[in-house]
Amino acid sequence: MAEATTETTTTEASAAPAASSSTESQQTPEQKAAAADQPTITRTAAPGANRRRTRCPFVAAGIEYIDYKDIDTLERYINEQGKLLPRRLTGVSAKFQRQLTIAVKRARHVALLPFVAENVR
Amino acid sequence: MYELMYVINPVLSDDQTKNMVERVQNYLRENDADVVHTEEMGSQRLAYPIQKKRNGYYVVTNFRGDGTFIAKLERALQINDDILRHLVLRYDAKMQRYFEQQRAKAAEQPVEADA
Repeated sequence: MAEATTETTTTEASAAPAASSSTESQQTPEQKAAAADQPTITRTAAPGANRRRTRCPFVAAGIEYIDYKDIDTLERYINEQGKLLPRRLTGVSAKFQRQLTIAVKRARHVALLPFVAENVR
Repeated sequence: MYELMYVINPVLSDDQTKNMVERVQNYLRENDADVVHTEEMGSQRLAYPIQKKRNGYYVVTNFRGDGTFIAKLERALQINDDILRHLVLRYDAKMQRYFEQQRAKAAEQPVEADA
């Protein structure tokens, strides 16, 4: 909780460098008034600021082998067009991304997954 | 251990499909393969049309055996017009463990059991 409070003050300062924030930090009685005035503004975090580094979903789930028959899982790592999603979006570790590509390609071969999605073709 | 998945032509009748599965099983046995498990995933929609067909009958077979006949097996599957697709994989330790896990899971939940 201590972390959260410090975070809000820094974000407020950076997000609104205009008159209000500078006066807040200097004058304590006015700061209280300002806080009472706008209690909603406290969570204006920068995009991605509170997004923690995601752990590889496969490692987290304790999965060892990605089955090409498990379409429900594979579909999550494929976009609308039927393309594989990059690791930077999914947070999959390199080790499992390699397995994943193989699994998806196998699934495509046996027509469990499309090479190109129906709506794009 | 090996895993063989193949997709049978949906146009075949139930009897013919059964016959086809039986033929593959027999072929494996003839080549001294020990069929561990066979799962028929049944008729499923294909993700893309193959030979103008939108469905396919999926069968997955796991077998143990000498790998030398696999080339012949694949050739036979390739030639057979009623098999739209096939895929043979050799299991490594990870896949083996995964397979056993799946089997254990299937054993727990009473699904329609096959011979």
